[in-house]
Amino acid sequence: MPDTPKPPAGAIPIREGLARECARAWERLASPGTWWTGAQRLAIASEARHAQDCALCKRRQDALSPYAVNGEHDSLGTLAPAMVEIVHRIVTDAGRLTRKWLHSMLEGGVTEEEYIETVGVIAVITALDTFDLSLGLPQCALPPPRPGAPMRHRPSGAKRDIAWVSTIEPGAFGPADPDPYKVHGNKNIHRALSLVPQEVFNFFDLDVELYLKDHEIRDFTREYRALSHAQIELLAGRVSALNGCYY
Amino acid sequence: MASVLEGDATRVGVAQGEVLVEFGEAMLRGDAQRRGRARETLRAALGDGALVDAAAVVASFNAVVKVADASGIPLEDFKADATADLRAELGLEKLNHLAS
Repeated sequence: MPDTPKPPAGAIPIREGLARECARAWERLASPGTWWTGAQRLAIASEARHAQDCALCKRRQDALSPYAVNGEHDSLGTLAPAMVEIVHRIVTDAGRLTRKWLHSMLEGGVTEEEYIETVGVIAVITALDTFDLSLGLPQCALPPPRPGAPMRHRPSGAKRDIAWVSTIEPGAFGPADPDPYKVHGNKNIHRALSLVPQEVFNFFDLDVELYLKDHEIRDFTREYRALSHAQIELLAGRVSALNGCYY
Repeated sequence: MASVLEGDATRVGVAQGEVLVEFGEAMLRGDAQRRGRARETLRAALGDGALVDAAAVVASFNAVVKVADASGIPLEDFKADATADLRAELGLEKLNHLAS
């Protein structure tokens, strides 16, 4: 894959499946998605990185009520203001997002499909950057965008019921739509991005190599990693607690 | 669970638990020096493969929280039922942004 970020020479060897999926994740970030072009997806990834240094976001993080703090984000200037607000909130204060906030964003012109693809992009760049940071590697330069137009296809079975956005319940994907539940499982966390099925693949194809496949998580008859199940879950639990993740 | 919430791994009985908890905390909250120390400590204790796995787990759970929180998906009913007492004991409902 041309221009896909590669680890520097002398870096610790990374197991093959994980290295493969990281490379594929970079490629997919730069490629046309379902609703955004490759360039737009990379602009979202860039803004997600930039959000870490936003003064408004820092004031909101420190505030008891983030919705009482107004101002302008420090942004790169390539995304519309509503998209900047979405990216910055998800990156810096996801634990305090509300249905009311999301729906105000949708009323402001971002579609729920665009929103879900944005969530997917943020999740992937967060995973890739955190992995590199944790290994002591420099942050990878974003690859150049790949040409092409987004598909702009909404799955036929989408409906708004369990989540703040529409999702596809298991068994409801039509024959024209890829069904990520058959590959990754159909827990609510898989369903979260299902309005844009390719984003389920984009995130979980990578995540099963970062973490474990669905059937491996509770298979205590063998260890799949250099860390044991208990060690993995202790670390995962601590990271989730630090992030204030209820799910 | 209480150990996970409080960051105290001395009681959990997991091999190198303290090293792993410090690794997670350093990667999310530490400066470059703290991250470097945590990385080297884990590598010395558990090896290169474990370091890669630990980095990968931190990456996974630092990312998946965005998916859960940004979409408003609820905990599955079977999980909610099975963990009701535990969540109450540990005060986890304060993290339930769906309640707001």
